[in-house]
Amino acid sequence: MHLRTDGDLHPVFCTIVPPHVLDHLSRSADARLADPARRTLAADGLRRDRRRATALAAVPTTPGVGAVPTKPHRTLYDCGNGTTLPGRKVRDEGDKPTSDASVNRAYAGLGATFELLLSAYGRSSIDGKGLPLIGSVHYGEEYNNAFFDGEQMVFGDGDGEIFLDFTVAVDVIAHELAHGLTQHTANLRYEGQSGALNESVSDVFGSLVKQYSLGQSAEQADWLIGAGLLAPRVSGDALRSMKAPGTAYDDDVLGKDPQPGSMADYIETEEDNGGVHLNSGIPNRAFHLLATALGGNSWERAGQIWFDVLTGGELTANADFAQFARLTVAAAGDRFGAADEREAVLKAWSEVGVPTKA
Amino acid sequence: MSARAAPDRQDPMRIQVSRTGGFAGIARRHEVDTGGRADAAEWQALAEEALRSARDTPPTGVPDGFRYAITVGDRTVYCADPDLTGAQRTLISRVLKEGA
Repeated sequence: MHLRTDGDLHPVFCTIVPPHVLDHLSRSADARLADPARRTLAADGLRRDRRRATALAAVPTTPGVGAVPTKPHRTLYDCGNGTTLPGRKVRDEGDKPTSDASVNRAYAGLGATFELLLSAYGRSSIDGKGLPLIGSVHYGEEYNNAFFDGEQMVFGDGDGEIFLDFTVAVDVIAHELAHGLTQHTANLRYEGQSGALNESVSDVFGSLVKQYSLGQSAEQADWLIGAGLLAPRVSGDALRSMKAPGTAYDDDVLGKDPQPGSMADYIETEEDNGGVHLNSGIPNRAFHLLATALGGNSWERAGQIWFDVLTGGELTANADFAQFARLTVAAAGDRFGAADEREAVLKAWSEVGVPTKA
Repeated sequence: MSARAAPDRQDPMRIQVSRTGGFAGIARRHEVDTGGRADAAEWQALAEEALRSARDTPPTGVPDGFRYAITVGDRTVYCADPDLTGAQRTLISRVLKEGA
């Protein structure tokens, strides 16, 4: 779906939009987003009530061509353990749950990610225009992976020996979808430091979707990626720890979690596109340090700063950690002024050894 | 059949598969030596098929997708999920499962 901005048809928000989303949208630089939000806010006098999440249930709805979708459009497919994508369609948006738990978990996980992007950041799907979300489950046989192929998410069942079904962790589902968000925004090159940033951004928003879904504050969150994904016989809690990179698992078969948590331990390697899943531990820990220093809900201030950088247009595709760090400092200042947030951002990067001065 | 001469089916062949990347970022590397195996001919035929139309440089791949390097004898080729040929997929899964 695309916005129509021609003629007299104004884009309208055709479903229940929380007031803080409208407030956010109303401040958008994009008039196509801001104008209808401002109209809605003005009409309903919601500014003074914006903390009341229920207030907008009565917003007049005008289902129309060209509205920015405020509901996800999810379609799930079953690969039937084959490798042909997308597979057989098994659940479309609005359909009842199926008897397949993998399908239902993926459906819910995609919905949770859509919800965070819209509610916290006023963004309609990964492209900002309500892009339909596509996921395929039961890819391959005993397939120990999940990935984003540029157009859709793909989930394996795991072999049951090391990994369980990749749909069991909502942060993993959100991680994959966040690759789509990155692709539609900064499009960070999947190699070296920009690749590690691409991975880290997916871990950050993966964890934020989990925290938002569970209503957890920074202090309450586990800050793990893929908790519940390792088979019972594996010695480990998860695949990665944002709080303490390098401590997620230590197992006879898997080995020890190799992630560094600061630049002093940065890994130079040819493998894994230059260690994109390894060095992501460094910006991951910076985000954790910021979020816990600020306290409260991580998606509100820390997440907003990261989102602003990812979507702001200044982050280059081949950005290194230092460029990303400098932009987070600037974003914190732009959004919150010369306040605690900016200081906390500077401190977080300093602790992981990433410079914030050019 | 490639321009390269087909290996003599009587010679033992070493087939290595290296897998990197993936959501977990955990590398795996295994190899199978066809020497003395009753199914050596089958392995060799599969390996030749997997090398056909494969690339000599690593493809970009997709986020979180596995990357593979397949070495047969003195030749190494590269491929990445999800764009594998059937022979590549079969060879990779057999080597990673059966390799020591």
